[in-house]
Amino acid sequence: MPDNPVAVPRTPARPQTGAATVLKIVIAGGFGTGKTTAVGAVSEITPLSTEEYLTSASADVDSLEGLAAKRTTTVAFDFGRLTLPDAPIPLELFLFGTPGQDRFVNLWHDIVRGAVGAVVLVDTRRLAASFTPISFFEDIDLPFVVAVNEFDGAHRYDLCQVRAALDLPDRVPVVTCDARDANRVAGALLTLVHHAAKNTPASPRHSSLPTSFQDV
Amino acid sequence: MTAPGRTAEDSVFVRTYTLTRGRTAPRHRLGLETVLEAGPGRPGPGQAEECARILALCRERHRSVAELAGLLRRPVTAIKILVSDLVDADALVVPVTSPYAASSVDSGAGPSPQMLAAVTAGLRKKFPDAVSYAHAG
Ligand SMILES: Nc1nc2c(ncn2[C@@H]2O[C@H](COP(=O)(O)OP(=O)(O)O)[C@@H](O)[C@H]2O)c(=O)[nH]1
Ligand SMILES: [Mg+2]
Repeated sequence: MPDNPVAVPRTPARPQTGAATVLKIVIAGGFGTGKTTAVGAVSEITPLSTEEYLTSASADVDSLEGLAAKRTTTVAFDFGRLTLPDAPIPLELFLFGTPGQDRFVNLWHDIVRGAVGAVVLVDTRRLAASFTPISFFEDIDLPFVVAVNEFDGAHRYDLCQVRAALDLPDRVPVVTCDARDANRVAGALLTLVHHAAKNTPASPRHSSLPTSFQDV
Repeated sequence: MTAPGRTAEDSVFVRTYTLTRGRTAPRHRLGLETVLEAGPGRPGPGQAEECARILALCRERHRSVAELAGLLRRPVTAIKILVSDLVDADALVVPVTSPYAASSVDSGAGPSPQMLAAVTAGLRKKFPDAVSYAHAG
């Protein structure tokens, strides 16, 4: 039964010397908050727009018609990567820029599995666009930081005001950023990695995910 | 099965469905971040043109599933199905990266503290002017 991945053993992996270890970081935020810009600022490749089918758990995938209904719509995310050859072990960071809409939630589970954490980009003129990613990351216990992009002409709020408006607990770091500036984006990534290191849980996270998210 | 007004969407679907020869799910468990390298095998006859492009890209350097899908402008699931075929033919292999990374992705846990320390060191070397806020906010 070739269409049932569960019946098939795990993809065989080959020993390979010098292969870099891959780590994922999510760059989330509403439309126009600077996700593509931030990925591009630190990525070694021009950010790619990668598509995936918009899945719904209830779609009938055994019939062509059910499948068509499930698969006529796609969602897109940004993909970028950067190598860290001077790390103690060779590392490659994969960056996933994902929009904040609810319809993304299925894809988010694939994106966040095993990830370091997320940087949530915020435009203070449209704070509400950040609510969906923030509550999603809180729900699944993924470490995240909030990075406020200071857009030209936007009112500069105190970071405490942003924290209060987003109802963030004290432990979540809130920083300012400029998605166009590689050093500022790298600073936000470093802040995230620090934060994740402080919060590395003893037990695996997202163990409460339905098993369907863990396969394929 | 074509409903009025959905022709464009349906044709995208039919094109992809043809590409995967009717298959709807990959045989192998592949993540968005699964990395592929060119292997010694050759793909079987009658493979989609996209398979040749995937192999050419993976011969240049290792590529992730997400990157291949972005470069080929095809949905991730379609790329996973083609990559599974190529893995079966030994034309692509999944290199072992690191015990930490593989096990963390499997268990759903985040990277280990040692791994996070390595990321910090690597980012600092690459972006010496970056300012992080260890006690931000
Ligand atoms: N001033 C300022 N402009 C930004 C910043 N980040 C992004 N932009 C601009 O805002 C627009 C939207 O950014 P984009 O990366 O496409 O947002 P996305 O929809 O989240 O991917 C672009 O014109 C960017 O140049 C920032 O940090 N500061
Ligand atoms: Mg964008």
